[in-house]
Amino acid sequence: MGVCFMSEDPRDAGVDLGEFLEFYLLDSQEQIERLGTGLLQLEKEGNNITLINDLFRSAHSLKGASGTMGFTPIVALTHAAEDLLDRLRQGKTEVTMEIIDILLAVTDRVKMMLEQVKQNQEITVEFVDLTESLKRLTEGAPKDGTAAAAEGEAKEEDPALKDVPVVDFALTAAEKAEVANALETGHGVFQVEIAFDSKAVMRAVRAVMAVQRAESIGTVVKSAPGMEEIEAENCAKFSLLLICDEAAGEIQEELMNVSELSGVEVHFYADPLAPGKSPGEAVGAAKRETLLQAEPAVKTDSQPAAVMAATTAPDAAKGNSSVQTIRVDTVRMDNLINMAGEMVITRTRLVQNGLDLKDAHPDDHLVSQLNETNMYLGRLMNDLQEGIMRLRMVPIGTVFSRFPRLVRDLARKTGKEITLELRGEETELDKTVVEVIGDPMMHLIRNSVDHGIEMPEERQLTDKPKIGTILLDAYHEGNHIVILISDDGQGLSLEKIKAKALEKGLISEREELSDRDVGNLIFLPGFSTADQVTDISGRGVGMDVVKKALSNLGGSIDIDTKRGKGTTFTIRLPLTLAIIQALLVNVGEEVYAVPLSSVLETLLVERKDIKSVGGLPMIQLRGKTLPMISLHKKFDIPTRQEKADPLCVVVVGLGEKAFGLIVDELRGQQEVVIKSLGEHLNNLPGIAGATILGDGKVTLILDVGALVQEIMIERKNRS
Amino acid sequence: MAEEQLVTLNLEKEEFGIDIMMVQEIIRIPAITRVPKAPEYVEGVINLRGNIIPVVDLRTRFRMDRTDDTDLSRIIVLQVDKKVFGVRVDAVNEVLRLNDEDIEPPPPVALGVETRFIRGVGKIGERLLILLNADQIMDEEFNHESFE
Repeated sequence: MGVCFMSEDPRDAGVDLGEFLEFYLLDSQEQIERLGTGLLQLEKEGNNITLINDLFRSAHSLKGASGTMGFTPIVALTHAAEDLLDRLRQGKTEVTMEIIDILLAVTDRVKMMLEQVKQNQEITVEFVDLTESLKRLTEGAPKDGTAAAAEGEAKEEDPALKDVPVVDFALTAAEKAEVANALETGHGVFQVEIAFDSKAVMRAVRAVMAVQRAESIGTVVKSAPGMEEIEAENCAKFSLLLICDEAAGEIQEELMNVSELSGVEVHFYADPLAPGKSPGEAVGAAKRETLLQAEPAVKTDSQPAAVMAATTAPDAAKGNSSVQTIRVDTVRMDNLINMAGEMVITRTRLVQNGLDLKDAHPDDHLVSQLNETNMYLGRLMNDLQEGIMRLRMVPIGTVFSRFPRLVRDLARKTGKEITLELRGEETELDKTVVEVIGDPMMHLIRNSVDHGIEMPEERQLTDKPKIGTILLDAYHEGNHIVILISDDGQGLSLEKIKAKALEKGLISEREELSDRDVGNLIFLPGFSTADQVTDISGRGVGMDVVKKALSNLGGSIDIDTKRGKGTTFTIRLPLTLAIIQALLVNVGEEVYAVPLSSVLETLLVERKDIKSVGGLPMIQLRGKTLPMISLHKKFDIPTRQEKADPLCVVVVGLGEKAFGLIVDELRGQQEVVIKSLGEHLNNLPGIAGATILGDGKVTLILDVGALVQEIMIERKNRS
Repeated sequence: MAEEQLVTLNLEKEEFGIDIMMVQEIIRIPAITRVPKAPEYVEGVINLRGNIIPVVDLRTRFRMDRTDDTDLSRIIVLQVDKKVFGVRVDAVNEVLRLNDEDIEPPPPVALGVETRFIRGVGKIGERLLILLNADQIMDEEFNHESFE
């Protein structure tokens, strides 16, 4: 085993290795993330044994996987880290700052190594210094030499209260291997005894529901008796063999959510045929112990645990909340979405056929049946489409989770004391959005650390708590997600901003600006008031980039700052970049979709009310002038209704800038799936993308922002 | 002896050949949506089973006169460098094999078509087949002029 093959492209060595490599990389990165967040948690909580166990498990599986792939440097590092973690979990060493620091350094180093693996380079990242330090810490003086502490975990649980019924699950070789593997890698393996209520009817259904519940928190290896038998024999109870990282109590709580069950018992599982393992083993200790029993009477109406388990909870407090997930290539998912779309279109045709048939044979009941079936199919299609769309939703916690480390490191560097508070991590939004908001958020957080939060001494002088707080929050608001980044630092100096803006000629003396307007000046290109340029937040390139990145996503950012109290950035983003509400309009032979989010109102305007100001058509709308654009002219579309009067106008706007789009006809509002025009045609001025309508025809989606900009430039040039 | 397979097509009176490896499928002309501000030779976009792909009118691209659709008109869907696009042609004729030695380099004086679109000229008895450079049909030139 060695790193030798990294000198050549591993993909050349065979398709399989390439596939494995991809899987390995994904998995390792996940483990590293887990280690990273876990360590930060550990820093806060000190000796939390479940957490340390988790960390140990992550390091262990990382080591194992890297060994299989032959990446020796990663094995060496993770092995050393694993040793140290082992000391921690045995209670032989206390968690210290130094340990956290070095383990974090390990995660960084492994990340760099993985990056090299990804680039098909040989691993050259230095690691001996770290393994040395790890070794030193591992071999360091033991706390008090209680070697027996290893069993602590197992002893904490109550010893067997009563005998566990022996159930023969009749496992196949593969299933046995799965169980053995789970025990080895430190996962929990449980035997769950489920009894039906004596009055329960449709027991098989209850059993299936119980299995589904169990699947939501772990893997059901087998049930005894099998589902068919439960159905046929009307059993009073059945047993499940479950691999799961939740605590026994959680499992029980989850299963008790199924009605008509009289009791659920959770035991550790041991293969009756296998020799017992040494008692020192981790969570999955193969020892028969009754952990918990519950009767419905004790059942409290608790939050369904599924809700919590369903989010990839970024807080490691819950530790082993690993979720039953599969990875799917986004391309496959997009194909699925396309196909669902096509099915909807095909169904529309089917409906039309049905209606035509109805006209031809109004009394044929077969035709009526066809139409009824069509209607039902339509409902199913809607559900299917919605379901597929939901596949793309991920909790924002996946973005948030990378910031605790960032803030910790930045705080260290600047000598500030900061806690980062996370809220609303379970708020879901489309994967496409999640992928792109990380960077803008990071920039804002860096800013808060660098310019917002004051030094501890300074804070104490102003009666503030010594430790500064940065809060990240997310919640849904209609079709949008709102993300707050808020600090209790010194706030922005509006006077300074104003002065700077004047100096740079961004505003004129006469301009009357509200405090909010002044605050928002920092988003103008080339603006920075930092007296001191640090390496944390940039050199006056930044805020405008953040703003641009967000508006590219159809989002916006707002700032609210109070001198001495702090600053809050409010980001608003569409929940998904994939679906929008759109107003469909006819222009000549063409149909265009205008994003409803930028439509302010629609008007009928008589031609005589349109005045030309500086060569641009304008109307007066409630005392304000509204510039107009004819889409016919803008897009060179031959018009059918040359002399239409009054004209149909869609008033669109972005912020305070509004203008009227002259169109031929309004067709109505519809939810449309945004698609790219492809590499060849994206970035066309005024076109944001395209969508496919019910009749299968492609319709272009207007880019209102770009149109606004164009009209602004045009106006400037003419005046 | 190496040989290649070609799909042959007609434009005006000329016969062209495209490497079959680049041809994804051949379809009848569906509804085409015009795309404003796109390069002139991009006739528009179509819905190909849920994917939106651009369609190039090869007549416009090769500076020939445009004609109306006939029963024979087709769109050949090509995949070049993982990018999918369609080209509209007057008709698709056949699939044939051509030996390498029957392919000559493009003549210095073009055959009414810009030389960069031509990869060579194939000879099959008396027939002359203009071999197309598919990757040039949607080339950078267009990218340069349409951005900014």
